[in-house]
Amino acid sequence: MVLEVLYPALGIEIVPPPPITKKTIEIGVKLAPQNACFPMKVTLGNFIEGIEKGADTIFMAGGVGPCRFGYYGQIQRIIIEDLGYDVNFVLIDSPRYGWKNFFSSLKTMVGGKWSISHIHRAVRLAWNVLRYVEELEKTSRLVRWKLKDPSQLDRLIEKSLKEIKNITSVVQLEEIRSNALHEISQLNTLEKNEPIKIGIVGEVYIAQEFRVNFNIEKLLGNMGILVDNSVSTAEYVLNFFPLTRSREKEEAWKLAKPFLKRFVGGEGIDTVGSTIRYAQQGFDGVIHLYPFTCMPEAVAKSIVVGVGREYNIPILHLAIDEHAGEAGMITRVEAFVDVLEMRRQQKVRKASCS
Amino acid sequence: MDLYLGVDVGSVTTKFALITSDKKIYSSCYLKTSGDPIAALKTGLKYIQSHYPSGGVIRGVGTTGSARHLAGVVVGADMVKNEITAHAVAAITLLPEVRTVFEIGGQDSKLIIIRDQVVEDFAMNTICAAGTGSFLEHQAVRLGIPIEEFGKLALQAQQSVRIAGRCTVFAESDMIHKQQLGFGKPEIIRGLCEALVRNFINNLATGKTILDPIVFQGGVAANQGIVQAFHDFYQGKYKIIVPQEHGIMGAWGAALLVLAAKQEKTSFQGFEVINRSYENRSFTCDDCPNSCEIVVLKEENKVKALWGSRCGKWIPELVDEKFSEKEEKTLSFSKNS
Repeated sequence: MVLEVLYPALGIEIVPPPPITKKTIEIGVKLAPQNACFPMKVTLGNFIEGIEKGADTIFMAGGVGPCRFGYYGQIQRIIIEDLGYDVNFVLIDSPRYGWKNFFSSLKTMVGGKWSISHIHRAVRLAWNVLRYVEELEKTSRLVRWKLKDPSQLDRLIEKSLKEIKNITSVVQLEEIRSNALHEISQLNTLEKNEPIKIGIVGEVYIAQEFRVNFNIEKLLGNMGILVDNSVSTAEYVLNFFPLTRSREKEEAWKLAKPFLKRFVGGEGIDTVGSTIRYAQQGFDGVIHLYPFTCMPEAVAKSIVVGVGREYNIPILHLAIDEHAGEAGMITRVEAFVDVLEMRRQQKVRKASCS
Repeated sequence: MDLYLGVDVGSVTTKFALITSDKKIYSSCYLKTSGDPIAALKTGLKYIQSHYPSGGVIRGVGTTGSARHLAGVVVGADMVKNEITAHAVAAITLLPEVRTVFEIGGQDSKLIIIRDQVVEDFAMNTICAAGTGSFLEHQAVRLGIPIEEFGKLALQAQQSVRIAGRCTVFAESDMIHKQQLGFGKPEIIRGLCEALVRNFINNLATGKTILDPIVFQGGVAANQGIVQAFHDFYQGKYKIIVPQEHGIMGAWGAALLVLAAKQEKTSFQGFEVINRSYENRSFTCDDCPNSCEIVVLKEENKVKALWGSRCGKWIPELVDEKFSEKEEKTLSFSKNS
């Protein structure tokens, strides 16, 4: 999405992979090693669909540490080469592990023919788009639970996301942004009591990508629940660089300390810290989303169980992969919401008795 | 007399419970779904109609189970609830001091942790169906024993044979292996029951605190072999109760929930449903690569409900009522602006 703005602004033609569908997942699952995690399979499916649409260069983030994500880029490169596709595969690692490599991949990324100021402008625009997309998601989380007709919100979001694909400047983006936010604020709402509040924690890809997590935010919002998501792609990018970590992230890491001191890869510490943060903020429950077989989240899961006990907050763990059934997930989410509602009623009863 | 109807359409069986406003069950039935939930619904309604108090009026209908949405549309439900909540509510009503519920049905099993009459935690089997009714039934057929006799036979065994219960396929091959070695049927069945209990505990109870009294419900609770295996697992220390209504607890729960909701009007379609014609068909929507499989439910040749689209554009009001089978592919749609 963001790259769709960044590249045209740089004068490079980009081929956005088609949106993730059942077909994308089928391709990824067929080609990837069976025991690889779900995000690796889906992104591989994205690449293949992108190549079939004519892409000649592929960018993939790399990484180090206990999460297997770090070597998935390499595996994907080999799989794509083995299939006989002639593409340039560029792996971008965090500059923390060598600025030289980082800049040389960046150079490939921009085609090596643009001035610093040009690149700066394009990157700034793309960054603002990412921030806007996340702001839009955040706004919809805040209003969806009380809307009379949530499908109106879906249409507004769809419209706005379509509009930003053609912009070339931050000024244009700002105009679209203020329009959309205004329109959302004008939607008809219902008079409702204090909603049930659920926080989402977990692995960045599964917790963010609504096309693979069965759009859990929308599902909950349409059930009248106020949702917050502790995971953000912008945060993820910031964390890629030294010294740009946000305050929330620092706070979550500090909160996690008594339970987990060491970096366990991926978002393990964030999952633990954010669960505590939600408990302290008076959320009714937490949903933990992660890819099946994800190491960092498996570590986090067993710790989060203890956190839930200590802070007396219910937690629903949902492992998602290509075998996850939508019906089973919905049944669990509905039952979880019932649990939270019953707890709330019990609290009210106890309070009125004393 | 005010009555409330609970309907639980599961993968293997369909259950009905008709209750009075004092939460008591007036009549109930337990049928095989046999892969045709609509036929099962009609049969159940017929039974309820013939076991109906004179002067009774149905004030509310609740549905649950894996086909709860389908059942809700056909019967006209005021409340469509997931089976975890329905089972928990029934267990709490039956035994207010309950702290754990074991529920083993045809295709899935559940563990519900209850404290102070509120559900605290729950788990549903995610990995394997080895602990469920379908599996037991399959093995009973293999051993040539009617499923009703299965549990009793297990109780006759002097000792048990250890059978690997980690997974359906392995349990089956291990069972055959033990048969070939010459072990008797009762010992094998007892071993199987113990394997299933281990499987249930390992899959669902990890990290959860099980406290008694335990209410054991669902179709499999009728199997004395399994009940005994649970007793043995906890070395007789836990109080395990199998309610008489164990098979219809979900339906009873659905009825209790709709009773508690105290709504003024019911959407119950009446017993005429028995005589209406229903047809369900599916087709693949080719509008995008998601290729959603859309299920169409027609009542008296009119589209009543559609399921399965991810984007949500398939709703009965937008589908041309007369769309024929041929037209289904080239959708006649009046797009909502």
